[in-house]
Amino acid sequence: MNNKIPNFVKTNQFGLLILVIVFICIFSFSTDGFTSRFNIYALSRVVALDIMIGLAMMVVILTGGLNLSLGALGVSAAMFGGWCMESMGIPISITIILVLAFGSFLGWINGFVTVRTGVHSFIVTLATMSIYFGFMTLLTEAEAFRKLPEAFTDFGSLKLFNKYISPLLIISVLTCFVLYYIFKYTDIGRKLIAAGANPDAAELSGISVDRMFIYCHMLSGFLAALAGIMLTARIGAAIPSMAGHLGFDWLLPAFLAPVLGGTLLSGGKVTVFGTMLGAILVTLINNGLYLIDVGEFWVRFFLGIILLGAVLLDRAREYFTVKNSIVS
Amino acid sequence: MSDYILELNNITKNFPGVKALDNANFKLKKKSIHALLGENGAGKSTLIKIITGVYNQNEGKLFLNNKEKSFSSPNEAMNAGISVVHQERNLIRRFSVGENLMLTNLPKNNLGLIDYNTVAKESKKWLDIMELDIDPNTIVSDLTVAKMQLCEIAKALSLESKILLLDEPTSSLSPQDTKNLFALLKRLVAEQDVSIVFVSHKLEEVFEICDEVTVLRDGKNACDSEQITNINRQKLVKLMIGRDEQIIKSKKDVDFIDENLLDLKSINTDLGHKNINLNLKKGEILGLYGLVGAGRTELIKCVLGLDKINSGQILLNNKEIKIKSPKDALEKYKIGYISEDRKKEGLILMHDVLSNAGITVWSNLKKILSFLNDSIVYNKVDPYVKQLEVKTPSYQQIVSNLSGGNQQKISVAKWLASGTDILFIDEPTVGIDIKTKSYLHELIIELSLKGTSIILITSDMPEMISLADRIITMKDFKVVGETINNHNYEEMSSSIMGNIHE
Amino acid sequence: MSALLKKDWFGLGLVLIFGSILISLFKPAFISPFNLYVLMLSVSLMLVVAMSQMIIIAIGQMNLSVGAIGGLVAISFTGLMEVYSMSILPAVLIGLLIGLACGFINGYITVKTGISAFIITLATLYIFKGMNLGITEAQPFYEIPEAVKFFGNAKIFGPIPYLVIIPIIITVLMWILMNRTSLGRYMLAYGNNVQSSELIGISSTKIVIYAHVISGLLAAIGGMLVVCRLQLGTPNIGDSWLLPSFAAPVIGGAILAGGKVDVIATAFGVILVSIISQALVIFKIDPFFVQIFLGFMILLAVFINRYREYREERRTKVFSDE
Repeated sequence: MNNKIPNFVKTNQFGLLILVIVFICIFSFSTDGFTSRFNIYALSRVVALDIMIGLAMMVVILTGGLNLSLGALGVSAAMFGGWCMESMGIPISITIILVLAFGSFLGWINGFVTVRTGVHSFIVTLATMSIYFGFMTLLTEAEAFRKLPEAFTDFGSLKLFNKYISPLLIISVLTCFVLYYIFKYTDIGRKLIAAGANPDAAELSGISVDRMFIYCHMLSGFLAALAGIMLTARIGAAIPSMAGHLGFDWLLPAFLAPVLGGTLLSGGKVTVFGTMLGAILVTLINNGLYLIDVGEFWVRFFLGIILLGAVLLDRAREYFTVKNSIVS
Repeated sequence: MSDYILELNNITKNFPGVKALDNANFKLKKKSIHALLGENGAGKSTLIKIITGVYNQNEGKLFLNNKEKSFSSPNEAMNAGISVVHQERNLIRRFSVGENLMLTNLPKNNLGLIDYNTVAKESKKWLDIMELDIDPNTIVSDLTVAKMQLCEIAKALSLESKILLLDEPTSSLSPQDTKNLFALLKRLVAEQDVSIVFVSHKLEEVFEICDEVTVLRDGKNACDSEQITNINRQKLVKLMIGRDEQIIKSKKDVDFIDENLLDLKSINTDLGHKNINLNLKKGEILGLYGLVGAGRTELIKCVLGLDKINSGQILLNNKEIKIKSPKDALEKYKIGYISEDRKKEGLILMHDVLSNAGITVWSNLKKILSFLNDSIVYNKVDPYVKQLEVKTPSYQQIVSNLSGGNQQKISVAKWLASGTDILFIDEPTVGIDIKTKSYLHELIIELSLKGTSIILITSDMPEMISLADRIITMKDFKVVGETINNHNYEEMSSSIMGNIHE
Repeated sequence: MSALLKKDWFGLGLVLIFGSILISLFKPAFISPFNLYVLMLSVSLMLVVAMSQMIIIAIGQMNLSVGAIGGLVAISFTGLMEVYSMSILPAVLIGLLIGLACGFINGYITVKTGISAFIITLATLYIFKGMNLGITEAQPFYEIPEAVKFFGNAKIFGPIPYLVIIPIIITVLMWILMNRTSLGRYMLAYGNNVQSSELIGISSTKIVIYAHVISGLLAAIGGMLVVCRLQLGTPNIGDSWLLPSFAAPVIGGAILAGGKVDVIATAFGVILVSIISQALVIFKIDPFFVQIFLGFMILLAVFINRYREYREERRTKVFSDE
């Protein structure tokens, strides 16, 4: 307890922080325009979303599962929001509440089916991904909602702090703090982590593991829906294809951020700020790759390589934690 | 040249904090059945794992047919002719019996494809040798457990194994199946040139089929390859338990208020418990004794709502209750369970001491908006962690880094902190050093004196006779006897054994 | 007969026959030669893709990169012929080689690091797809030799396309592999019970790598067949494979935990999915329903498989040891 600073230095977050700083330095010196107001603003809008998506995946990875339906769910929620505002004329604030509730509900479906069948969340969310996305395209007839209230779209293009930062980033960072608070300072947060770390032990210690897992999926749905709204505000329209076919475009950043951030894929560990830093790193690399003219088509390739590197690191870390425990 | 097929000399095996085997010897004669006995934690399973290549010994030598060997994997041991027969674990359940028997060397036709007719024919040979009436085309998962076990043996034979290790082979067999198995084992030894290591808790079985016996106690030889004829049952029990074992008398004769706190009435469960009746009185330590597979832990898990109770009643203070989950048990009825498997079910190894010790009290401690921080939890659990003298550098220490004894103390501490009225304690001292063990014994007695009612499951007879006020004996998922404990070891142990072997 | 009833493919077969009869009663157009031709084409392509996933499911893993491998091979195959004017045979061979290499990478990394195949193949999905886009810059290759076009379009007789030949051969070979060779049996044994298969000396490394290599090869063949069919090599070949690749084996009773797959039932699963998609088109139902339907079918199949597995476990669970 009393030697906090060295402890922080040993953490994964610290390594990430260093990497982020190093990359910022490299890109600032080696490319033009990296530090331009325009670029930083653009970055802040992108990173805001990546953080949110990463968090949405992180809370399911916590259970040792995953959520393939993340993108489909987020887009469905966003389209629902677009419909509320454009077709129904529901005020923005109420729409946002409805959308978040809707996202949580879709997440609940994922969680409920996973827990009740005992089937791995992979196959469950693979199926619900298809179902959510299918219903969404069916109901919207693949048409976008482009006439959203101005107050809403203006928010998405608002520029703060001397026009450097998008308010979306502030939402994401605030969300990080809230999640950190939940996991660190609440009964429920601790129970979520315990259930993910060792379901049997948690169950026998009086925690309702099934309920915790459902909560995790609901939280994932909530965050994905939030990401959906943010993306809608950013683009200024709710478009069915905004996360790619079946929402697949969200999947890589969704896994990259938490895995880079140090979340164990086997569950039981969350690193909220690690995920945030992970998302920042991914966005930076992504942006840097564009700026150094790697060609936009190769960017995916490098992101794949980074994910591979990240899981190998994750593995090494797990290996060393096991090593440590054997020693004493 | 000796006529030993397998010889282990002066084997020592250390685990962090524990010496599992200490200069242990084991000699298996050719064509003999050799019993390996010992109580839980005596080192039997470690010895078996060394023989089968799962572990390597720290000191000592292993000779197979008078040649020194060391196995780096179970597969190597198997290739050298040593097979362990588990109950069903080594078969591929979705494959046929024949294919399982021939799996390492599947017969092919001219095209290099598997010839299932030959598979059936070849495997039938082994089944015939064992006089087993099983169609080789039967899928393994369709067999009964007893037949699966026989197939395991057939598979071992088909692999030309010369040494079979049978670990508690009869724990899930009916008397008839057991009889058949023994007839088969005797025949195999006589006709097939096979030697058998037989591990069992059931002494009458040992006398029935074994030629020699080795007893381990605390990792040492209590006896080394003794002729079974030179030994009687009483002597064997003494060897297993040891004379120096002190039976502590749990408490001054308290007159129980004859008031049942928890009652199980004619409970039948999904797992196979039949008509279980038992009652727990206030402040009592009720022992549940039984052999491995008697269904004790399973019973507790059914009571906790983890498996289904099909019929019968649970009464708490004479009011019928339904426990849906351990959460229910803890929060509504103040019932806790200290698991026998602290690594899998008791603790969250990757988490720190504070979250492990506090897990049961979070719900009670939470403030508005479910707020909870470390210092609130710390204040609550610290007295218990201190009381139990848990040795840890800090509350932030990851639990997997602690010794087994300290881990067990933490899994006890969390239940003390939760302040339950009823505590189910399952094998509390397995794999724990002597000092912590006696400490835990004192603690359990103290708890019950303070009014906690305890159901204690242990396979450690001295522990049982030291601690329990009353002992219920279970066998095959049924209650077979009840004895008031007078803390006299000889009397109690023979009475309990009597219950089991009736 | 009772043995027949126990087979995974039997029930599915009945559903297929009755379903087809029912559909054709309502809409005779369903059995029109053109419709059958379209049906067979879609079955042919998905069959190979489903087998590619099935073999990975057999060892209890999953391969997200099936589509990415297919896409990468498809554009390499066409690119080699268009840009380097390579003749068909060497182009096919190089295509297969690429599939083999991709599969080897998946298998090798998975087995050597012990990381779940899901995450490894997610990473390689992006790597292979990134290479695909990097090479093509998202532009299709149009110059396809006539022979390839012919193979993709011509009919042997009646409504039967040439394209079915290879998928049928593959299905037969896969059946032989999974049912009559040690390699296939060891894969299933490994999927059933890793520990006991290692105990009898089955090498995990070998099994996992072989399975992934075969999966890669099949994905490569799938990619090239799509090229034949489409008459061009577009970079988005394989993008939509993921869902059906899991759907067919799962509908065919495969258990994702591994050790249980059925080649015939998987093939029937493919046919079922194709027939339903086709029927939805014929009944003029919104094509997006196909997506939803597929999702529900997977869930339903998972429920059924789970239930059967549960019953099987139940039978022997009584009196298990402590």
